[in-house]
Amino acid sequence: MYMFCSIYLLSFNIIAYLNNKKNLFEYPELKKNYSVSFVVPAYNEGETIADTIEHIFNIDYKNITQVIIVNDCSTDNTKEVVEKLKEKYPKLILINNPTNLGNAGRSKNAGLKYATGDVIAFVDADSYPAKDSLKKMLGFFQNEKVGAITCPILVRDGNRFFERIQDIEYRVIAFTRKLLGYTGAIYVTPGPLALYRKEAIQETSGFDGDNLTEDIEITWHLIKLGWEREMSLSTYVSTTVPQKFGEWYKQRRRWTIGGLQCMSKYKKEIFKRGMLGLFVLPFFIIQFFLGVLGLGVLFYVSITNLITNYLFTTYSINADVPLLTMNQLFITPSFLDYLGIIIFSISIIFTLIALSMMKRTMMKKENLFNIFFFAIIYLMTYPFITIIAIYKYFKKENKWR
Amino acid sequence: MIKNQKYIFLYALIATLIVFNVGIFMGYLMETSRVDKINDLALKVELQLLDQTAQRDAMKLLDLDCELLIEGNIKFGDKIFEQALEIEKYEKANQINEEITFQHKRFDLLRTLFWMNSVEIKQKCKSDYHNIIYFYDYDNPSIEQNSKQRFFSNLLGEVKELQGNNIMLIPLAADNDISSINLLLKQYNITELPTILIDEKVKLTEINSISEVEKYLD
Repeated sequence: MYMFCSIYLLSFNIIAYLNNKKNLFEYPELKKNYSVSFVVPAYNEGETIADTIEHIFNIDYKNITQVIIVNDCSTDNTKEVVEKLKEKYPKLILINNPTNLGNAGRSKNAGLKYATGDVIAFVDADSYPAKDSLKKMLGFFQNEKVGAITCPILVRDGNRFFERIQDIEYRVIAFTRKLLGYTGAIYVTPGPLALYRKEAIQETSGFDGDNLTEDIEITWHLIKLGWEREMSLSTYVSTTVPQKFGEWYKQRRRWTIGGLQCMSKYKKEIFKRGMLGLFVLPFFIIQFFLGVLGLGVLFYVSITNLITNYLFTTYSINADVPLLTMNQLFITPSFLDYLGIIIFSISIIFTLIALSMMKRTMMKKENLFNIFFFAIIYLMTYPFITIIAIYKYFKKENKWR
Repeated sequence: MIKNQKYIFLYALIATLIVFNVGIFMGYLMETSRVDKINDLALKVELQLLDQTAQRDAMKLLDLDCELLIEGNIKFGDKIFEQALEIEKYEKANQINEEITFQHKRFDLLRTLFWMNSVEIKQKCKSDYHNIIYFYDYDNPSIEQNSKQRFFSNLLGEVKELQGNNIMLIPLAADNDISSINLLLKQYNITELPTILIDEKVKLTEINSISEVEKYLD
């Protein structure tokens, strides 16, 4: 089953890439002058929000009508930083929530009430849109069916090893998300930068305030309502990523719980006609199932081998018998081993293609070690996070922080 | 705008089915090739066993040199043991072709015949070599059985290294549902696996050192 799913995903990505490699970075020429309102939810983002605001106002687009910062009762100097920048940027609006809403979705909804633009852009308070982001994204809205647009999220100046691994991950995700876009299968418009047609977001009644991944939830809602999603690969938004394992773990656990919340909310759509029922939901469910099953099998095999080896070693040491003989050094691979190696090799080649497509001159050249670490060690942590997230989800420990 | 390319889902499925089936087919060919090698080995062993049996029968009628007969038997015993290790390597790797299980049973039968042959030669020639029969669980050993069997295998390998031609080491899967082996298991009252049977007299199910086996070989 693993082999089949792996081969399928790989085939999908390869075919989509070969079919569209000449137009991956194309974007529609912007002919309409959309008014854009930015909404930035912020909780204790005093260190980064000034930079975010500067980047937004630095975007090369003349019709940014508002930049709304929603301060969710921050306990640091977020409010003071924004107040100071209001002197420099008249279009900057600060909304201070009377009580802590505790969730980015609720803060976004609070900001949405004040947004007047044809397009509402949501940016995380630690994310920095590129100067050409709006010009290279807005054109997609010229197709009236498009409700949301996303772009690649790249790691900002990641020089530490852990940041470089996440950078590889983000770039591969960006590339594969673009490929999904060709089949209308984009299932998330991530928080760092997402543009929504006002009409589309109004139809959804805003973000789900209880969902830990409100960006996934709203995208699924848009899919259900029949809105198309597009991705512009020719621009980007950079973001700060967790630098320590603990922060990273909490982030990924939150994302996984959010995924479970979405699956639960939209479970009645499974196998119904449309992208949500026929691809997105089954994709998520199979992913979770295989992750949990794989971990279960790994545990079972590991524990069995551990006990067997422990007993064998004990017997052998007591009897002064060799632990290893020459014959045991010879490994005869099965056909599954060969197939696995071939699939893994093709995956690595595809990862290298994705990374070369998503090159960033600012980043230091990544080496093969980072890529192998990402492909083997880093990705193997996800099943463990899935198990913990499932546990937390059923215990209803669905907290943002 | 780029046209929606939902057909990619179908193309990917077709590609997957092709790759998967080609992979299984290639795997089947690879495993069949291994089984063919084992089959060739089995044919050679059968021939040699027939040869040994013929010599043994000739010994009854004619005054044949026991030494040559014993030497031939010992060499044959070593060969059959090496082939058992060879099959074991392939068994772990074969996932599709079930024929390797059949070949294992075939070799078990050949080893059983060899054992009987060995007993008769030993009796007729009054030789002092020892038959060590190692019965093990082949199909689905428990964790404890698995560790014990690995330990017994290594221990007996060491004993063979130390004793050389003084012993005839014959591994037999006790759960392959072969009638002749089942009869012998009943005859020697072997109820626990793994079990080592030395010279059709001594049964060992627990061993703590090589010397516990060697004391029966003096």
